Amino acid sequence: MVKTTVVGSYPRTGDAFEEQALRRGIARLDRGEITEAELRTVERDTVKAVLKEQNEVGIDLVTDGQISWYDSQSHIAGKLASIEINGLVRYFDTNTYYRQPVVRGAVSRNGPLLVDEWKFAQGSSKAPVKAVLTGPVTLASLSLDKHYGNKKALAGAFASAIGEEVGALVKAGASQIQIDEPILTQHPEDLSLVSEGLDRIRGHKAKATLTLFTFFGDVAGIYKDLQEVPAEILGLDLVQGAATWPVLAKHGSSKPLVLGVIDARNTKEEDPAAVAKKVSQLNSAVDLKASYLSPSNGLEFLPRERARRKLRILHDAARGLGVAG
Amino acid sequence: MTALLTTSVGSLPKPEYLTRARTKAAKGELPSDALQDLEQKATREWIRFQEEIGIDILVDGEQYRGDMATYFAENLEGTEISGLVRSYGNRYYKKPIVVGELKRRGPISVDWFSFAQSQTDRPVKGMITGPYTMMDWSFDEYYGSRTEACLAFAKLLHEEAVALEAAGAKYVQVDEPALSTRFDELPLLVKAVGIVTKGLRARTVLHTCYGNYNEIFDYFNKLPVDQLDLEMSNSGLDLLERFKREPLKKEIAFGVVDVHSHVIEPEALIRERIEKALTIFRPDQLFIDPDCGLKTRSVDEARDKLRNMVAATRAVRQVHGLT
Ligand SMILES: [Zn+2]
Repeated sequence: MVKTTVVGSYPRTGDAFEEQALRRGIARLDRGEITEAELRTVERDTVKAVLKEQNEVGIDLVTDGQISWYDSQSHIAGKLASIEINGLVRYFDTNTYYRQPVVRGAVSRNGPLLVDEWKFAQGSSKAPVKAVLTGPVTLASLSLDKHYGNKKALAGAFASAIGEEVGALVKAGASQIQIDEPILTQHPEDLSLVSEGLDRIRGHKAKATLTLFTFFGDVAGIYKDLQEVPAEILGLDLVQGAATWPVLAKHGSSKPLVLGVIDARNTKEEDPAAVAKKVSQLNSAVDLKASYLSPSNGLEFLPRERARRKLRILHDAARGLGVAG
Repeated sequence: MTALLTTSVGSLPKPEYLTRARTKAAKGELPSDALQDLEQKATREWIRFQEEIGIDILVDGEQYRGDMATYFAENLEGTEISGLVRSYGNRYYKKPIVVGELKRRGPISVDWFSFAQSQTDRPVKGMITGPYTMMDWSFDEYYGSRTEACLAFAKLLHEEAVALEAAGAKYVQVDEPALSTRFDELPLLVKAVGIVTKGLRARTVLHTCYGNYNEIFDYFNKLPVDQLDLEMSNSGLDLLERFKREPLKKEIAFGVVDVHSHVIEPEALIRERIEKALTIFRPDQLFIDPDCGLKTRSVDEARDKLRNMVAATRAVRQVHGLT
């Protein structure tokens, strides 16, 4: 059986009353009815619930759902020195928005970014919890740079800060680190910057496994070079990035993959048997035993109840691949 | 010559009594006709307010709508409404799901248009959530193709546009906030909006907001509408330079107040913005309005912003001897 994992985010609110605790909590904090500390408790209860949902389905490698993240950019960048957080900007081609980081000076890491969140999540999960960080090149591309004047320098500074964080996460016990670089699907020419960033980060990871994930599109045009990046595992969006599939089937992969085959942006349900059959075509081209099946990107774009069903489909598809393993 | 006509983008804030009533109705504690009475009351109040301050082209204020895409989807065949999906921060909406062939069951917004128009002698705009935005903001379990889903929405929204015109709409506005989502799909958007506006005698308007205008600039003159309604105060004032070099061959409704800020722009600042616009556009080509729908502001903030906008426009008209 092929292993299963998720990409990162998970819906923090559902349609049932008890699934709306965090939404109510934030509203109450805004009205001054509860304290920040009380909201943290609600947040952590939500993380526990999200981990439980993944554990119950039997996902092999889980995440904390990025429940406490306002968005993928400001949650990381906002904790670094010399960065201010500005107004809302559309996040890639989604109907969601991120608060834009503004770089006012030399970027550096003053303290932990995700270590406490990761420790809490791992303490609440039976399955290992993957630590997921937004990649330096995506951060540099989506920020407003008022200091460095070129993306390479800014991405380098972000990479150093993220590298330090990876070191802290590994020290805290994380054995799986994922770096998200969705920017590669829009700007494949950034691949060399991504490689340089990973090279800096790799120096801090010790024995942990490093995954590079790209989503919101394909990487067909850079697939061969992508095989050379300094990461052990490659994560691919094979839904919105379906164009990667033929290249992958043709050239195979020297690295294990995370195969993002379940559509995380549409409620339409896949047939697990059909997914399993398709993936089994890669049997001779990819080391499926060392690989994972996953959604195509974070599950937050779906309603909670639909996200749960997608997890189930993911699990069933992986089980259907039993013959391959 | 008509010059510097004032208008609004669409939504206006709901008064507190209506917000409370909607919550109650959602819990089943208020019958739908009682809710509708209050929606009508709020609509009448907004129409009266717009008349009082002297706006030229009115809107119904969308007091009866929740989300702009969900409202249209709820009134179609072939759709369901999903659970909550997060947009940003603590904001969630229920996203439509296309589950079958899309068809228009009957009028969607026509009755509300007629009601609003019956309250005033001034023109009220008919308002349609555009086909591209409807597609982009829905899950699709049926068509399996963004193009097909978008064109299916376009066909039925054309029927709605024709019905609005038949009901007396002099202006039909197509809202496309998703316009700048994927630049490679702009030709699809042009085609779909063209289907919606085809053959209409009413003045057609396309509203969009919060996009990277530089990327879409080349498409402005290709959009199959008479008027573009653009957010300008929040991010677009630098766009004026580009319009100077590459003139717009359409009317423009020029956003002069920021809808996301609590700050009430003083009349003098709005006058400055209008004067700047007048250095590029002819007075008969230029309409004045807020950046976007005002629904996220409080009733008082929205009123103050609109009041200052109209006062500033009047002052500019006077200075330039425009009537
Ligand atoms: Zn708008």
